[in-house]
Amino acid sequence: MATHTTNSDELDCRVLSIQSSVVYGYVGNKSATFPLQILGFDVSTINSVQFSNHTGYGKWKGQVLNAEDVSDLFEGLRLNNLLQFSHVLTGYIGKVSFLEKVGQTIAEMKQCNPDLMFVCDPVMGDNGKFYVPQELVPVYRDQIVPQADIVTPNQFELEQLTDMKVNSEEEAFAAIEKLHQSGTKTVVLSSSSLGSNGVLLCLASTAVNGNRQRYRLEMPKLDAIFVGTGDLFAASLLGWSHRDGELKAALEKTIATLQAVIKKTLAYAQKAAGPGNKPTSAQMELRLIQSKSIIENPSIEIRAENVPQS
Amino acid sequence: MAGKCEKRVLSIQSSVVWGYVGNKTAAFPLQMHGFDVSPINTVQFSNHTEYGHFRGQVLNDTDLDDLVAGLRTNNLLQFSHVLTGYIGSRSFLEKVADVIKELRNNNPNLTYVCDPVMGDGGHLYVPADLVEPYRNTIVPLADILTPNQFELELLTERKVTNEHEALEAMGRLHDKGVGTVVLSSTDFATEGTLVALASTNKESGREVYRISIPKVDATFVGTGDLFACSLLTWLHRDKEIKSAFEKTVATVQAVMARTLTYAKENTSLGTKPGMAAMELQLVQSKADIETPVVTLQATKVSQKSL
Repeated sequence: MATHTTNSDELDCRVLSIQSSVVYGYVGNKSATFPLQILGFDVSTINSVQFSNHTGYGKWKGQVLNAEDVSDLFEGLRLNNLLQFSHVLTGYIGKVSFLEKVGQTIAEMKQCNPDLMFVCDPVMGDNGKFYVPQELVPVYRDQIVPQADIVTPNQFELEQLTDMKVNSEEEAFAAIEKLHQSGTKTVVLSSSSLGSNGVLLCLASTAVNGNRQRYRLEMPKLDAIFVGTGDLFAASLLGWSHRDGELKAALEKTIATLQAVIKKTLAYAQKAAGPGNKPTSAQMELRLIQSKSIIENPSIEIRAENVPQS
Repeated sequence: MAGKCEKRVLSIQSSVVWGYVGNKTAAFPLQMHGFDVSPINTVQFSNHTEYGHFRGQVLNDTDLDDLVAGLRTNNLLQFSHVLTGYIGSRSFLEKVADVIKELRNNNPNLTYVCDPVMGDGGHLYVPADLVEPYRNTIVPLADILTPNQFELELLTERKVTNEHEALEAMGRLHDKGVGTVVLSSTDFATEGTLVALASTNKESGREVYRISIPKVDATFVGTGDLFACSLLTWLHRDKEIKSAFEKTVATVQAVMARTLTYAKENTSLGTKPGMAAMELQLVQSKADIETPVVTLQATKVSQKSL
C-alpha cells in the first residue's frame, strides 16, 4: 500500500468551510471545496444556504440556514469531538445572528487550538452596493475580522471595515494598516480598480515581527463578470498559504489559478454563446472541474512586486 | 443537445459536515473524472448517523420541489446522469421518480444510476413503505442498479442465499428493464471471501462477471456510495462491464485499505478504531481514484449457470 503521512500532517489539513452552496454551478462551497481537496485538504462543509443556482441568474429557489440550524450542526460536531480543524474558511453569510454564532464558535475553536488559521472573506457588497444587511458591518469589524489570520476584502468591503475611503493604492494600504492594528495578520485585496486603465490591482500586506511585507500584482481586466471567483481566490489562498508557508508564493499561485480558470471559462462561454452573443449565467459558470491540473499546479505568469514601506 | 448535457450528474444524496457519506463521498471522485456534479443534499447532518450523536436538517418534499423549480426556470434540468442514494420517505422518493422522468424527457440518453438503499443484513433502515415504490416505480427507471443482497431480495421478492439465486434475481431485474445490476458484495461464498457479481443485459445476450474479494474485519460507512459513483464513472469511461466492474472494486478496495491503515495508526493498540478514525480516506486516495490498480480480476460466469 502507498506510504502514509504522519498523524500531525493529517491534522494539519482539515478545513471547516462555512459558505453557501448551489445545486448547479460554482459559488461558495461549490467553488471552494474541489480546489482544496485537490490540494490535499479534508474539507468539512457547512452549507449556509442550498440554492438551485446563484442569485446572479435573476431567479433562484432554495433553503437558508438560520443561527439555530448552524448552532445544531456545531453541537453535533462538538458532541462527537469533531471540532478539530486546522483551518476555518468563511464566505457569504446573510444574517447577523448566524455570523455572531460563527464568530463565537471560532473563538471557542481557537481556545482549544491556538494554531487554528481563520481565513475570512468578509462578503458584504461590491461597487458601492451592499448585498447583505448593513447590520453585519459592525459584527465583521468588531467580532469576526479581528479573529481572522487572513482576510480577503474587496475595495468596498475594506472601506466598510475601516470606515476609510480607498481611492488609491496609498489609501488602500492605510486602511489595511488599520486592520493590522486590530489584530489581522494578513490582508489581501484580491482585485481593485486602483490600478491604471485596463488593469486590476491585487494588494497584499502581512505583519511580520512588527514590520509589514507588502505586495502588488497587476492583472489584465477582462470585459466580463465572473461569479464565484472571490470564493475560489480565498480557497486557493488558504491552500497555498498552508503549503508554501509564505505570502508571496501563495499570492502568485492563487492569482495564477484564478487567471487560468477565468481564461478557460471565458473561452468556453464565448464559444457556447456563439459570435456576437453575450454568454448566459449558465455558460459563464467557472470551468473549475475542467481546471483540475491548473489548480494542482498553477503556472505562474504574474509575479508579485514588493512594495516598500513608505 | 447531447453536448450540453455531457458529463453532468445530478446527485440526490445526503450530506454531512464532517466525514464521507452520500454526496460527500460521491462528488470528489466524480469531479476528479471531469464530471460536473450538481448535488441535491437531502439532509445536512453534522456527521453520519452511526456515530450515535448527530444533529442537522432534513429536506422535505416542498424543499425538493423548490430546488427543481429553480433549476427548471433557468433551463438547468439538462443532465447526462442521475445518481440517487439514501432517501428517507416515500413521498420524497416518488418526487424523485418524477424528476427522473422529467430529466429523461429533456435528455432521452439520460443514464440513471440507482443505489436502492433500504437496509442490510435482513434489517430495513428506511420506512417499510419505500419498498413498493422502489420495486415498481424506481427500478423500472434505472439503467444501473447497485442493490446489496438484502435489497435484491426485497426488490424481487425472492430469497437470495446462493449465487444461482442471486443471478436469477438479477435476471428478474433485467426483465423489468434494468440494463446493468451490480451486487457489490454477498455473504454466501466461502469463509473469508465476499463475492461481487455484475450482470448486464446486452443485445448480444446477458453477460455476468464475478469478483472474489477477501473479507476485511472492519465495518466501513460510505463505501456503498463510493461503489455507486465509481461504477457510474467507469461504465461511462470504459463503456463495458468487465473493466468498469474491476476498476470500481479496485477503487473501493484501495480506499478501504488506506482508511484501515490510517485508523489503526491513530488508535491505541487493542482499542477498536472510532467512527472518526474510520472515515474514508477519500481525499488522500486521489491517485487511486484517478487510476485504480486492478488486483482482483473479474471472471466470466458461464451462460450455463444463468
